[in-house]
Amino acid sequence: MKSRFLLLVAFACLFVSGCGDSPESPGQKSRGLIGVSLLTLENPFFKVIGDTITEEGAKHGYETLVVSGDKDVAKQSNQIKDFIVKGAAAIVLSPCDSKSILPVIAEANTAGIPVFTVDIPCNEPGVKIVAQVATDNEGGGREAAKAMIEALGEAGGKVAILHLKQAESCILRVKGFRAAVDGHNATAAGKLEIVAELESGGAKDIGFRAAEDALQAHPDLRGIFAINDPAALGARAALEKAGKAEQILIIGFDGQPEGKQAIKDGKIYADPIQFPDQMGVKVVEAIVSHSKGTTVPPQILIPTSLYRKADAEKDPELK
Amino acid sequence: MGLVLAGLCLFFSFATIKEQSAMSEAGALALAETIFAKHGNEARVLVATAGLPEEVAFAAALERGLEAAGVQPLAVVSGEPREARAALERIAGEGAGLDVIAASASAGGWLLFADLRTDIPALGDPELIIPTTRKWPDFLKKDNLLNIANQIAVIAIMAIGMTLVILTGGIDLSVGSLLALGAVIASLLIRELAGGEQAGTFGMILACAGAITICGLLGLVTGWLVTRFHIAPFLVTLALMLMVSGVAYRITKGESVYQVPDSFTWLGRGSGLLGLPNAVILMFFLYGLAHLMMTRMVIGRHLYAVGGNRVAARLSGIPVERVLLFAYVMSALLAGLGGVVMASQLKSGSPTYGDMYELYVIAAVVVGGTSLSGGRGSMIGTLLGAFTIAVIQNGMNLMNVESYTQKIVLGSVILGAVWLDRVRRKGE
Repeated sequence: MKSRFLLLVAFACLFVSGCGDSPESPGQKSRGLIGVSLLTLENPFFKVIGDTITEEGAKHGYETLVVSGDKDVAKQSNQIKDFIVKGAAAIVLSPCDSKSILPVIAEANTAGIPVFTVDIPCNEPGVKIVAQVATDNEGGGREAAKAMIEALGEAGGKVAILHLKQAESCILRVKGFRAAVDGHNATAAGKLEIVAELESGGAKDIGFRAAEDALQAHPDLRGIFAINDPAALGARAALEKAGKAEQILIIGFDGQPEGKQAIKDGKIYADPIQFPDQMGVKVVEAIVSHSKGTTVPPQILIPTSLYRKADAEKDPELK
Repeated sequence: MGLVLAGLCLFFSFATIKEQSAMSEAGALALAETIFAKHGNEARVLVATAGLPEEVAFAAALERGLEAAGVQPLAVVSGEPREARAALERIAGEGAGLDVIAASASAGGWLLFADLRTDIPALGDPELIIPTTRKWPDFLKKDNLLNIANQIAVIAIMAIGMTLVILTGGIDLSVGSLLALGAVIASLLIRELAGGEQAGTFGMILACAGAITICGLLGLVTGWLVTRFHIAPFLVTLALMLMVSGVAYRITKGESVYQVPDSFTWLGRGSGLLGLPNAVILMFFLYGLAHLMMTRMVIGRHLYAVGGNRVAARLSGIPVERVLLFAYVMSALLAGLGGVVMASQLKSGSPTYGDMYELYVIAAVVVGGTSLSGGRGSMIGTLLGAFTIAVIQNGMNLMNVESYTQKIVLGSVILGAVWLDRVRRKGE
């Protein structure tokens, strides 16, 4: 008898935890579910995307369920299959692997559920994706180069890149950066010389080690371009440790809160910042336009914008 | 354990009850009559579906029914909302107005129809009719039940091997990495040796067998290190987990290998007997074998004996080393097989597969009532344990529970299930 009581308690707990989150919108009848599976929810960037989709979706009468793929494509596939069973009105995902996710996108296509990508595009043939919303990474790379040129001034000098080569978005950032630097070198007197391109893992610890290695090889380094904020902050720690924080300038990317704070404190010179909230807004706009039967552009690029110390000082979100 | 699983199923069945559309031919004809009864044969009707096969059939039946009643639909559209909008704008352009929009369930949710009054006011105020619905839980849909079985197949297959290892009082942390290695080697072999996208069935079978064998050999190494040098299994398999994962990343350079033929997905996504997915059939078949092995064969008794009391087992003449070796080799082989199934499901092999899977596999075994200190447990229990985890994950997705909460609930349920098991055991 006791065990049955315990069972009841267990289910009561589960029920409470489940119901706490069920987004039953009172009054208005729901217009369907937007199922969202993002690469991860550990990174605040994706959290903002998810929250904005939820918020914007609610304005148009949609329920939204945001889940994290945890960078595990098998898990993400299962989540999307569950969305299909639920008969979602739309599926939004940032693919954990653009090849292995194809079968399940094809399944959604067969079930007649429109699929959208956010942040990470999927450009493989054979599947139908209504719209892909992403940052204009190449343009962002060019802006990063602009900031670097502005920071190093007339003198120019040696520059290192902290890369994350497995990410398509980062390849585009570096491509834009290199193109703009080449363009600058063709005309200007003070040339920028890209002397190293090291793997940073997009993380603080690996960025730290990579920057240390770069300093060993090039003691006269003047600038570092890191493809995201964690790598940039890792590099900053290495510069501080080596006592070269004054000599070398860092350009980051993303504009996460920690990165913005570092710009305010003068630890990073500038970031081309992304607008995850804009991505969320655009995705929901695309979903609504598609459902209303108006045309939706297949590619929606969100431009970045340079964020310098002066912007940080005016930013009400920073303390 | 079965009680917990049954309770969970019951709970999710109640929690996911929703209106489901019934799109039968009879339903379509009934709908046609309703329209005729309400608006007469002068009714101006648009039929819209999202273009799925069952919906197109429904639309055709509806059209037949309407025509039999003397109603000529103004337009029948099957496809994207865009096409429906074009049809509506054409009708509005002709100044005709509209009385009824008969839509399939999925098309009925389009904002196009919901906002029609404000967007295309020229059409008047047409009534949106969606076929009759019945209440039925999402959880108990046939597709969803197959989904659950398919989602857990890989973990459940690996859990057979893990049960053997844990029964002997050991642990195998390397299964997640071995899964990745199995998936990667199978798809690499197909790409490099079996002819890539033109690979034949025989070549693919050889490639998969090769991948599973390599995993088995690694299991042999684990077993050898554990038995010969008496290194704790935790350490040996932890080291192997790192090495194997590193190898999988190196041989693929961190990218997924996808040059495999379409027919490679037969195992993971095809379905055979009774409409069950092949991976699920394979899983049940393996559990049947494993259950027979544990209950009817000598090796089964030996595994229990070694886990229960190793010294006593040795004194009674059981070849303890060989039994341990068997457990680790089986665990590695099944992990390799799991990798092949996953590669087939996802039509590619990637070194990122299987991250943290060892923990889910261990959780399935432990939730299934196998004692971590060895000697006690059963294959049926492990299967129930695996399904418990799958049902919780699936049910929470169906109930709109977001990711952070899912982790908390899953962890609590694992803890709760194990605790419940303890309490019941004490009672017996």
